[in-house]
Amino acid sequence: MSKKAIVYINQFFGQLGGEDTADVAPSITEGQIGPAMAYNAQLNADVTHTIICGDNFMGSHTEEAVQIILDMLKDKEFDIFIAGPAFNAGRYGVACGTICKAVKEKYGVPVITSMNQENPGMEMFRKDVIIMKGGNIASKMRKDLAAVVKVANKMLAGEEIGAAAEEGYFPTGHRHQTFINERAVDRFMKMLHARIRGEDYVSEMIVPKLDRVPIAPAVKDLKHARIAMLNTGGIIPVDNPDRIQSASATRWGRYDISEMDALKGGEFKTIHAGFDPAAANENPNRIMPIDAMKVLLKEGVYGSLHPYFYTTVGTGTTEKEAARMAREIIPLLQEDQVDACILIST
Amino acid sequence: MKLEIGNFHVKDIVFGDSLSYSDGILTINKEEALDFIRQDKRITEAELYIVKPGDMVRLCPVKEAIEPRCRLDGKGLFPGYTSDLRQAGEGVLHALKDCSVIVVGRHWGGFQDGLIDMGGPGQKHTYFGELINIVLVGDTDEEFERYEQQKCNDALRRAGHKLAEYIGQCVKDLTPEDTDVYETEPLVKRSAEKNGRPGVVAVIQPQSQMETPGYNTLYYGWDMNRYLPSYMTVQEVLDGALISGSFMPTSSKWSTYDFQNFPILRRLIEEQGDEYNFLGVILANLNVAMDQKERNAQILTNIAVQLGADYALVTEEGYGNPDADYVLAISNLEKAGIKVVAVANESTGRDGGGSPLVTLDERIVAMVSTGNVGQLIELPPMPVVLGELEALGRDGNSGGWDYDEVLGPSVRPDGSVIMEDNGLFCGDQTVGWSFKTMKDF
Repeated sequence: MSKKAIVYINQFFGQLGGEDTADVAPSITEGQIGPAMAYNAQLNADVTHTIICGDNFMGSHTEEAVQIILDMLKDKEFDIFIAGPAFNAGRYGVACGTICKAVKEKYGVPVITSMNQENPGMEMFRKDVIIMKGGNIASKMRKDLAAVVKVANKMLAGEEIGAAAEEGYFPTGHRHQTFINERAVDRFMKMLHARIRGEDYVSEMIVPKLDRVPIAPAVKDLKHARIAMLNTGGIIPVDNPDRIQSASATRWGRYDISEMDALKGGEFKTIHAGFDPAAANENPNRIMPIDAMKVLLKEGVYGSLHPYFYTTVGTGTTEKEAARMAREIIPLLQEDQVDACILIST
Repeated sequence: MKLEIGNFHVKDIVFGDSLSYSDGILTINKEEALDFIRQDKRITEAELYIVKPGDMVRLCPVKEAIEPRCRLDGKGLFPGYTSDLRQAGEGVLHALKDCSVIVVGRHWGGFQDGLIDMGGPGQKHTYFGELINIVLVGDTDEEFERYEQQKCNDALRRAGHKLAEYIGQCVKDLTPEDTDVYETEPLVKRSAEKNGRPGVVAVIQPQSQMETPGYNTLYYGWDMNRYLPSYMTVQEVLDGALISGSFMPTSSKWSTYDFQNFPILRRLIEEQGDEYNFLGVILANLNVAMDQKERNAQILTNIAVQLGADYALVTEEGYGNPDADYVLAISNLEKAGIKVVAVANESTGRDGGGSPLVTLDERIVAMVSTGNVGQLIELPPMPVVLGELEALGRDGNSGGWDYDEVLGPSVRPDGSVIMEDNGLFCGDQTVGWSFKTMKDF
């Protein structure tokens, strides 16, 4: 009996239109549409269904979209789930990562997608989903699709998937030992000769780029300084209006404190999943000490307090995402002429 | 300094009437050898076995490995340890190659001991699976550490070194099949041409983190816990100046056999040619406190700078806490303008998701990775076990356990094994033999 595959694509590749149809809800069609036809031709499996969802719908109604699609799959038999390729289309890439992760968790089948290294979905999902390294634009479709098929066919055959560099997917954050045909002494001498000759070599351990920011110099005139408060401890209004994730956060929020003397338990809590929340939920000022800052303000220790505090969750959050959030927050602080920030981590 | 090692390539080892070597066959009189071993009254039980590559035999708990050798000047193989002090690294040695003396506990193992499979899927996991081995299985009266997780293993380890020396005597008067010569001139006496080439130095960091004496690497018999980096030659390393300790999880261990044969150090001498001027070895160590680590990194870097090094090997005998010493050495050398090629194993955990080293530094730009201490390994039952397999799970071995709610015990009732790479005797072969690397998945 031949194996079965189901393919997920967005409204554009689903031939429903462009930006004007980006709000369409998920639909499932028997047979193959767009890239699903090529998958059907190349995979060692039949593509039985094509799922199409508007990128905006997936982006703004994520939970609903995922639920609809998981329900669509409930009565289907399939051996693999494929999404994309998404190239450098940001919303599409995030959608492919989101749905692949959800399908893998719910149905336990192998999932695979493809996107460009600049696609934000890559960093968000590479640890959960095999994401093939893809081109930046849709003209790379043929090449990207073939790359997906090569690994997908291995998955279908139950073969072991090799190392990221060899198979062409983004590293999933797992390093394992593997036997090769060259002794360490030979690899060492090659690397030494290469360094001496100034030739290229590949280190067997690549240290991730560590972006260390120097600590700012002390504030000269605290009495007139405007101070802003930020935290990565996940302090949010109890209804989490910005839907900040409990780990691996990609979202942040800011909350008005101009009219309050302190954060009240019951009104604020932590959404952070990396520590026991009891103490922070009882008194959120333990992480975000608005109470102390208000007292110090009255005492004239510093000039003024920026009317909002800012929150995200630090645990599992990548440096890349953290840097992006900072770039989004900084203009708001500059606009209000903030002189110094207190960033509290947990 | 000139060291000549005359090689005798052992094709087979048998027990027979007298200790002798002829045409690749090493013959050992077992009873005489055992009598020799029993001269140390601490040894309460001793037996000898011969195991060969492909034999379906498992050795556990393995404590040490030594290459059998003799010195033609009649002096001791291991100065300051099993004999009087002498200058190591010069003169003529005869060595029985492709074989080793392996010491195994008859009953009791510990954190630092390991496992060797001579055949089956486990054979590839240790270098000693490729050698013909004389296996001393013994027990001792060292009651003070019988139930300790950390064992000095002093009586058994010394018995192994002495046995290797005892066996090596049989080739003293014979003509070697081939000879390796390791010769270097004093640094400032070298020709202008040689000294004009890029300087390469080797920084080695043997294990020395146990504060109590008796567990650490010995340097001319000196416990390296109280030690600051100093200069030595490869010839000294190869000629018994360093004796392996009994402390580190064993897959990261450098056995005495490893010191006697240190492949990377030998190749650094052999390949210098026109390309670089090999400056010798900076013998550093591994420490516990941060100020000790910083002091040693500073001293070893200064020695490298003063020697005129442009490039350096840095390698450590260990992982985890020792990574701090290793990374600091690399980082300091690179800061001083000395380009490093580093060699170590990693600890990314059973799922491979952990940090490769305990601390990282962007200055690590060239590293050879030799394995993952956390890798789970499953091995089938072996018809013959020398020692006591239960030691792997029972005695606190770094790669074994007696209970795990998911994996079950390391040693199963049928004799099969599930363990971490940590417990494979010198398994990650960081001295240079390793066929393993680390890849991102």
